[in-house]
Amino acid sequence: MFKKVNSAAYSGLDSVGIEVEVNTTKKGLPGFNIVGLTSKAVDESEERVKTAISNSGIEFPRRKITINLAPADIPKEGSFYDLPIAVGILASVMNFEIPEKSLFFGELSLDGSLRHTKGALPLALFAKNNGFGNIFLPEDSANEAAVMEDLNVYPIKDLDQITAYLLGKKEIDSAVYRREKEEKESPEFDMEEILGQEQAKRAAEIAAAGGHNFFMMGAPGSGKTMIARAISGILPPLTESESLEVTEIYSISGNTGPGSGLIRKRPFRAPHHSISKVGLIGGGSKPMPGEVTLAHRGVLFLDEFNEFPRSALESMRQPLEDGQLTISRSKQRVKYPSEFMLVASSNPCPCGYMNHSEKECRCTPRQIFNYQKKISGPILDRIDLHVSVSAVDIEKLKKERRKEKGESSDKIRKRVEKAREIQEKRYMKEKIRTNAEMKNRHIKAYCNLPEKTEEILSKAASSFNLSARGYFKMIKVSRTIADLDGEDVIRPKHVAEALQYRAKTTEDKAF
Amino acid sequence: MKSIKIKEKRYPKRLKEINDPPNELYYKGEWDNDLFENCLAVVGSRKMTRYGKKICERIVSGIATRGVTIVSGFMYGIDATAHRAAVRVGGKTIAVMPCGIEKIHPAYQDKLYKEILQKKGLIISEWSGSTGPAKWTYPKRNRIVAGLSQATLVVQASEKSGSLITANLTEKLERKLFSIPGPLTSSVSIGTANLIKEGRAEIVTDPEDILKFFKKKQSTINFKNKNNKYPDNSLKKKIIDSLKVEPLTVDELSRKLEIPIASLGGIISEMQIDGIIEEDSGKYHLLDNY
Repeated sequence: MFKKVNSAAYSGLDSVGIEVEVNTTKKGLPGFNIVGLTSKAVDESEERVKTAISNSGIEFPRRKITINLAPADIPKEGSFYDLPIAVGILASVMNFEIPEKSLFFGELSLDGSLRHTKGALPLALFAKNNGFGNIFLPEDSANEAAVMEDLNVYPIKDLDQITAYLLGKKEIDSAVYRREKEEKESPEFDMEEILGQEQAKRAAEIAAAGGHNFFMMGAPGSGKTMIARAISGILPPLTESESLEVTEIYSISGNTGPGSGLIRKRPFRAPHHSISKVGLIGGGSKPMPGEVTLAHRGVLFLDEFNEFPRSALESMRQPLEDGQLTISRSKQRVKYPSEFMLVASSNPCPCGYMNHSEKECRCTPRQIFNYQKKISGPILDRIDLHVSVSAVDIEKLKKERRKEKGESSDKIRKRVEKAREIQEKRYMKEKIRTNAEMKNRHIKAYCNLPEKTEEILSKAASSFNLSARGYFKMIKVSRTIADLDGEDVIRPKHVAEALQYRAKTTEDKAF
Repeated sequence: MKSIKIKEKRYPKRLKEINDPPNELYYKGEWDNDLFENCLAVVGSRKMTRYGKKICERIVSGIATRGVTIVSGFMYGIDATAHRAAVRVGGKTIAVMPCGIEKIHPAYQDKLYKEILQKKGLIISEWSGSTGPAKWTYPKRNRIVAGLSQATLVVQASEKSGSLITANLTEKLERKLFSIPGPLTSSVSIGTANLIKEGRAEIVTDPEDILKFFKKKQSTINFKNKNNKYPDNSLKKKIIDSLKVEPLTVDELSRKLEIPIASLGGIISEMQIDGIIEEDSGKYHLLDNY
């Protein structure tokens, strides 16, 4: 008998409807065949489905079973076709109807129960957009899908349960979204825990307010990593739609845990410098998101920036510029978003102690020159804020400010949020949202410089040897500083402060 | 390839006085005999400290403005700082290379190399072609540095520094030796301190000490603190007073003067643009004329 079950496949963040056609017949030798451009994981479905059905107390039918995943020319990937296949076989053997407008999705365990399966949220989105009213999926993945309103999400424990439901013997309550399961941990560090480093903290605040990329150079142990980790705590919380975007990415890449809900905290990704190009950008024969996409709407922290393979860093140019990237492979082409804030840090020299107040640097100028030259120029060009972080004498600092603590992340975040609001209003009619995204056209339109401001900027351009690009970067940063001040006009003091964060090239330093 | 043979009249006279003057000198730039009239060799450690850099710049620029040619070996560290300081104040300088005349060593100092030639300085070597330097070429080069100069100034040197070879050569030629004192906690101060202790070198604390030897008039650069244009209790004045004591980072300044970093940054930038202070690897220094 022939049965049809609906499911979906995703390529990138987009989903396509897939029909799982099951035919069982007593004619011919018993057998089990899956067709329709399947991958290894789908082929292995046979063993899981067979065993799961037997272990659910139903005798596996001795018939010739043919399964077609249509359309047959789209590559099928993943283990979530287990449930639609099993349901199709059972329906055909036990002769029950499959409810209309329903999607089935989930990986089977050998004992007949269903396991947490990645990609629940994108599937729910697809269901909602394509008029499927019901979605059947593993209990552990149900909360993710339950975010979607106007959708009946049926959490399934095992094959027994769904068979009973489809035979009309037992009801299943549709899942209600449980907000308490949301991922909402607070960041590891609060800004007030970081002693000293006032300038770096201020730069982090500006970077967060304007969405600027941020580069720190300093000795080991000076607190670069702490500052970077604290940045996600001063960024405004994710909006509802941003939360959805982030959760979708994490769901596709299998980074959401069983029972989890929407991700509410800003992603913070800190890949090690041994990462490959594909790991950073994404890819593979079935293109998966890389770190730049996992850091979407959050922070990508590259510690030991100049130790990263050059090819990996260079390939970050497009995602940095466009906020998205397209991965092309022979079989498919997928688009992933990548709007992240880049935070990079590096030591000043190979031994790490150049300009250290106590330790002596053991590097020759040539070593230092070569070391700093390794930092990719085009990427540095896309970083607006540069600070050097010097090691702090903790004991001395503790004595100096026994009473007063630094500002807390909460306090800083309030200012950042205000500045972001101003920007949102300003760019209402534009495609951009933050100052960092401004192109020359926007700078002309939104950064009117009064005469005095212009004067200090041109003076600075000559005395600091600013390049044309450096000049525009300074205007962007000044715009953000003015926004933090709540001022509409960019004043000389704003530009003057921005100049503190200009890039200091190696040529500036005399060897 | 330009060169000058020992038989020629233009060959520097003082160089002939050494034991084994080179038969032929290859050079880049415009040969001008005036360059060789008053020469001071400035030598020192490659492991220059920040203090060494600062004091070298101060003394050399004071001397170079008065027309004394600065001779050194184009190595990184004190050598390069001396050349650079001379070029920046429009003074004359001669770089004696430890390698073939066609080679720039160290290669990454090519910018300084060009600057020296642009400002009518001279690059010389006793070797033609582009052979690289070797361990033995450095002391050979040193004999030319010492040979060309009436006096040698040792800025920073450790106990077994190559600069001391130049100092020895200078003494053998019975020429004047100068040395700058430095903090005894630093290893690159020991060599210079020994020179002073043993009475071999005359101590230098001011460009005047050397200019007197060359019988040159007072330096035009005035190192005494000028009356600056800021009122006594202004923030900028306070910053200047703090930086007079020691170089500080912005963070340290902000804590010391209790000014929020957001407003201090702008003020610091303004002072930098005005040429009052200078940033060197994170710390701010007062420029010499303040």
